[in-house]
Amino acid sequence: MSEPAVTHTGTEAQHSAGFPPFKTESFPSQIFWLVVAFVALFIVLWRFAGPRIAGVIGQRKGQIAGDIAAADKHKADAEAALAAYEKALATARAKAHAEAEAGRKVLEAEAEKAKAAADAEAREATAAADVQIAAKRAEAATHVTKAAQDAAAEIVNRLIGVSVTPDEAAAAVKAVGA
Amino acid sequence: MAMNPMEQFEVKPIIFHDPLFSIAGHPIYFTNQALFMLIAVAVATLFLTATVSKGRLVPTRGQSMAELSYEFVANMINSTMGSDGLKFFPLIFTIFIFVLFQNFLGLIPWTFTSTSQIAITFTLASFVILTMVVTGFMTQGLGFLKLFVPSAPWYLLILLVPIEVISFLTRPISLSVRLFANMLAGHTLLAVFASFVVLLGAAGGILSVFAVAPFLLIVAIFALEMLVAALQAYVFAILTCIYLNEAIHHANH
Repeated sequence: MSEPAVTHTGTEAQHSAGFPPFKTESFPSQIFWLVVAFVALFIVLWRFAGPRIAGVIGQRKGQIAGDIAAADKHKADAEAALAAYEKALATARAKAHAEAEAGRKVLEAEAEKAKAAADAEAREATAAADVQIAAKRAEAATHVTKAAQDAAAEIVNRLIGVSVTPDEAAAAVKAVGA
Repeated sequence: MAMNPMEQFEVKPIIFHDPLFSIAGHPIYFTNQALFMLIAVAVATLFLTATVSKGRLVPTRGQSMAELSYEFVANMINSTMGSDGLKFFPLIFTIFIFVLFQNFLGLIPWTFTSTSQIAITFTLASFVILTMVVTGFMTQGLGFLKLFVPSAPWYLLILLVPIEVISFLTRPISLSVRLFANMLAGHTLLAVFASFVVLLGAAGGILSVFAVAPFLLIVAIFALEMLVAALQAYVFAILTCIYLNEAIHHANH
């Protein structure tokens, strides 16, 4: 505080007098140092700090944009993979369905065929059985007729003592049976 | 004991008592103001270069602040001048950072507040207006003079043109006095209340207890002054943007 004010004479008297910012004798020094400081800061900011900060900000923006683009690409890839998977799944499902259907048809056809064969066999057996039944029935019928003839001849023989030939008995039975 | 609140605004030579040299007969001293102006520039340089030297993708606190100040000024220019105003970015960035750091450095006790000197603020403001005029004539030619001719009937122009001219001429004054007066008033107020603390404290007895009141006021005013320091730097920079905008774009008013 002992330093004199910036004056041409540098006396203490001028130091204490007046409103400091309006002391014009200090103006040349003030403006000189302002220019020095301002120009120095301007060059630093214009040439070094500004481009550096802009570079850092730009780099970050680029990185973020690149990352987002990469993420988008991965997402698209994943979606494509999902679509391919779903398509493959649908195809496989359709194929399996078709194969199952075909298998079912084959089985059905086989079953049908087996059923038809079994039916035919059954019919044949039935037919054979029918024939046998008919034969047995005819045989039985002849047996019955024969028995009736024999019985008739025996009865006639016992009753009237007449011997009847089998042919006569047969004719008589037939006449009655008819 | 220094009780004169104006004493802090005294520009005085330090270290060297004799002028370093003379420019056109004016002696140039190395002053307290010169020292703190250079310190502010050094701190600003450190703040805006060292923090971003590694250019981290995820910024550190310092780098983040440097980037924020950069983008703040870039957005300010974009919103007031449009993207073609970005050619003035280095200038406006320098003005903003320069004023901001002078203002904040000045808030530290025992420092010197360069922006509380009308010589500094008026030189800066004149430089801004000069830049505006030169840019205006360079980009618009004589059309720049339309700045003084609002769209109005001719008989009103007789009145309006002188008003426009006067308002233009007062721009460097309003721009410089706004900053100068804000800083001067705030620092004077702080010094006055500080002297109250000293006076009451030295008085002894019950009066010493009351020294707490002006001290609390200083704390409050200091907080306000931090706001003013940032706000005035912003105002100075945005007015620069607005003036330069008139230089590169046709004024429509």
